[in-house]
Amino acid sequence: MTTASKTVLLTGTSPLYSELLQLLKEKGYRVVSLAEMAENRTEIRFAVEVTNLDLELKKAAIRELDGKLPANVPILTTSLAITATEVASWTQCPARVCGFGTLVPLAERELIEIAPALQTAPSVLEQAEAFLQSMGKQTEVVVDEIGLVFPRILSLIINEAAFTVMERTATAQDIDTAMKKGTNYPYGPLEWADQIGLDDVYAIIRGLHRDLGEERYRPAPLLRKLVLAGRVGKRSNQGFYQYEPKEVSYR
Amino acid sequence: MAVHSIGVIGAGTMGAGIALVCARKGHRVHLLDTNQDVLNKAQSYLLEVLSKDVQKGRISKQQKEQTYRLVVPVQDMALLKESDIVIEAVPERLELKKSIFASLTEVCRSDSLLLTNTSSLSITEIAGGLTHAERILGFHFFNPAPVMPLVEVVRGKQSSEQNVTRAYQFARDLGKVPVVVADTPGFIVNRVARPYYNEALRILGDGIAEVDQIDRIMTLAGGFKMGPFELQDMIGIDINFATTESVYTNFFHEGRFKPSRIQQRMVQAGKLGRKTGEGFYDYSK
Repeated sequence: MTTASKTVLLTGTSPLYSELLQLLKEKGYRVVSLAEMAENRTEIRFAVEVTNLDLELKKAAIRELDGKLPANVPILTTSLAITATEVASWTQCPARVCGFGTLVPLAERELIEIAPALQTAPSVLEQAEAFLQSMGKQTEVVVDEIGLVFPRILSLIINEAAFTVMERTATAQDIDTAMKKGTNYPYGPLEWADQIGLDDVYAIIRGLHRDLGEERYRPAPLLRKLVLAGRVGKRSNQGFYQYEPKEVSYR
Repeated sequence: MAVHSIGVIGAGTMGAGIALVCARKGHRVHLLDTNQDVLNKAQSYLLEVLSKDVQKGRISKQQKEQTYRLVVPVQDMALLKESDIVIEAVPERLELKKSIFASLTEVCRSDSLLLTNTSSLSITEIAGGLTHAERILGFHFFNPAPVMPLVEVVRGKQSSEQNVTRAYQFARDLGKVPVVVADTPGFIVNRVARPYYNEALRILGDGIAEVDQIDRIMTLAGGFKMGPFELQDMIGIDINFATTESVYTNFFHEGRFKPSRIQQRMVQAGKLGRKTGEGFYDYSK
């Protein structure tokens, strides 16, 4: 495969960004940013967009990609906070937009879900599957709805745990212990949330609440406030738990 | 406070399992049930488990005999009067539990700790109107009790902080991992786990993904040991539905806990999972 056929544009603010960047590089892809789009315009074979919390920013990025990339370049976009169908509706070439969704850490994801928009062309879906498989992941194609399957179910478990903490029904630590020891969860929901990033978790629940309009998807106020305060979990040293800031080594 | 004698009420699966947990730690247990057949079954269960322990070289024959003899089957509640701690594990019927606790408050010392293994009833309601309600707490084991490490120590409205600490320490002494939770519907596990089943059912109902797809995604993408549908089949779809209904009702119909019609139809059709040979998957072949 030539360098040109392995050039991918990656953009977005989700914690997925840095992990995807690393994984793409490991798999031999050349990764360019949105700022580098112009000079690599003819070499880019795939665009991956991963903003979830700020949907205005997402819209601006998608429109820029759609306006500048040749119409045959597929745009893979996270359908975590918004449906792929709505993202596609922002573009001039909706057939090239396809949704996907997962959560960090990617090393723990054997499988990544893909959700084609109503407008997605079959050939674009095939390319999306092949692309994610080239990154060493199995794929499962599901119908387009906010949060797909795993991110949606896990976020709602985390939301319920957040209500439970907020109401002082139990401590975060006891909730995590209970779910691991009483029902064999791989992680407690709150330590899991801190690892994923509360911003992505909140973006999913807010999206479900906005689109489906049900009390069932009401975000826990504590979760919303933690995100507003920038306490998004491990990567900001604070979320449901407090983490020790890492010491910088100058050696 | 040292624990010398424990009473366990109800000798069904949970009660017998709890008695075994206590006896293995060297506690004398009065295992109470009004039904002699149930007591006999509990004793054969204890013998069976302890014999396996001997076969596997975990304990000696002598230890098996000692542990077995620590559990004394009784039918008369008056024999629990010297118990330091009583754990009730009878079927989940409020009136039955209330009457048992009313009797216990008369039989037992006022400094005894009275615990209920309820998973769905309010501790505060069970203890309501009884004398020394500060000693009545929830103590929720998970099935099978000898295997699952968690115990939810449930603080009723009237439970004293001192007794919460006692119950917590007692769970530790039994080799369990205790957590403390306020008296709220579903406590921690049965509440926080609801979306695992409910949202999977909703995703199925909305036509987003199929049963086997959802299970595959939750295990391979999520790292869960079992998918939500194979897990429902194992637990029993009727049991799972009843838990959801109970949490939903007791949260005064909070939308987050709304039960699924798909699940209800499965129950109505008698497709309850592995135990009936068919649930979300077919086990008849």
